[in-house]
Amino acid sequence: MAQILLVDDDLGFLEATTELLELLEHTVVSASTVAQAQQAAAGRSFDHVILDLIMPDGSGLHVLDSIKNRDQTSVTLVTGHPSVKSIVKDLYGPNISYLIKPIDLAQLQSLFATDDSDHELDTALHFGHLVGESAPMQKLYQMIERVSKTQANVLLMGESGVGKEVVASAIHAATNPKGGFVPANCGAFTRDLISSELFGHEKGAFTGATHRKAGLFELADKGTLFLDEITEMPIDQQPNLLRVLETHKVTRLGATSSIDVDCRVVSATNRSEMDIAEQGCLREDLYFRLAVFPVHIPPLRQRVDDIPLLIEYFLAAFNRQYKASAKIDPKDMARLQAYDWPGNIRELRHAVHRAFIMADPDTQLLVLPDDLSSPFSKVGDQKHAGITVGKTVEDVERELIESTLEHLDGDKKKAAEMLGVSLKTLYNRLNSYAEE
Amino acid sequence: MSSDTQRLFHDVRNPLNNISVNAELGKLTLERTNDTEKAVVIFERILQECRRCDEVLTELRDQLVSGEQPSAVSSTHPGDDT
Repeated sequence: MAQILLVDDDLGFLEATTELLELLEHTVVSASTVAQAQQAAAGRSFDHVILDLIMPDGSGLHVLDSIKNRDQTSVTLVTGHPSVKSIVKDLYGPNISYLIKPIDLAQLQSLFATDDSDHELDTALHFGHLVGESAPMQKLYQMIERVSKTQANVLLMGESGVGKEVVASAIHAATNPKGGFVPANCGAFTRDLISSELFGHEKGAFTGATHRKAGLFELADKGTLFLDEITEMPIDQQPNLLRVLETHKVTRLGATSSIDVDCRVVSATNRSEMDIAEQGCLREDLYFRLAVFPVHIPPLRQRVDDIPLLIEYFLAAFNRQYKASAKIDPKDMARLQAYDWPGNIRELRHAVHRAFIMADPDTQLLVLPDDLSSPFSKVGDQKHAGITVGKTVEDVERELIESTLEHLDGDKKKAAEMLGVSLKTLYNRLNSYAEE
Repeated sequence: MSSDTQRLFHDVRNPLNNISVNAELGKLTLERTNDTEKAVVIFERILQECRRCDEVLTELRDQLVSGEQPSAVSSTHPGDDT
């Protein structure tokens, strides 16, 4: 069973093919214009996209940009003549198949026949998006299952790279709503445009507003609005968001009347509840509206059992994308599992991708770098050198004195000055270390 | 071949394609669900697409008779559509 996006402007073809694919037990989303397809595809994942290349409102290939898992989607073009193949192949690479009109069942089925391996891959996905069988993930699945039956807003919390947007997509998929999944990053909006992005605007509402524009809340109607990095939203803009959440009504900038909106808001932050409260980056009233159902996504180091599954998943995706058959040596697998992944799944995916590019062309085995740690994790290490939870104040002080002395080539007088203690105190400390 | 004639060649393939897809759909519907009401709807669609086909072919014939030498057709290749 595959998730298919079907785009064609011939309504007769669209209807019959949708029914045919559904009879073959696939899930089909159909669209008759590029704009409609882009809206339907926004932020969603599809296994297959079947497209008419030339549409009345532009090239069907524009639809591909809207699809979330572009890497893992097979693209099929519906064409009247095989000669279009060679042209498109040059433009969009080899990972494209064709349906030549007149289309029959055998042609359609051949699209899915080669996908047996993907099938196994897909069944391992929870809610169509999540990989992992570890205990923390089972707990997460249970929470997604429960919240999907309600309309509650969800606040996702977790370190950078744990896959907050993927979890948001999973919640959307589990809910199976009529509307789409609309992702947005609050950190990416400019201060001036954030209201217009979220709530839309009328033509002429401000300088440069040449067209009427629907806001993200409207686009997500009957679906899910995902607000990433919610704590980056300027504090003075937060009351506007709060008002929409409370009233379920949006007023476009410059409009005189409001529009009803009905969507689940899933927001995300990499800060902890403690940080949010202490740093005041989120108004308390807004926090309670957004975090009706708070969900913590575990960091990768707490679910090391899932690392092999994730590696196999990414590797299969890269193999499919590049039509390769790279494998991983069990020794390398163990090495990847032993590393603590401060950048979480994003870092793991990057590492697999890099090793895939470096793979030995003869043995088809992935080649890992000598040092797995990323430059970002090293910066973090240095900053926190010496200060880790569980050390005593005495230990830290001793480390500080010793490294200061080392830095000053053992000059005790200068070291005492730098540390802001008397020379006598410094000697006392050093004597006590010598006695230990 | 004139662009109008080329367009008609392209246009005739669309109803033909819909006949093909609906015929497969009808076959599968009867095989799997035995839903005869649905099958009747599908056959009606096929007939409609046949009429569309006929209209395009009539137009194509008129084009060729009035404007172009029939030999022009065989010297071109219908490879420029989608």
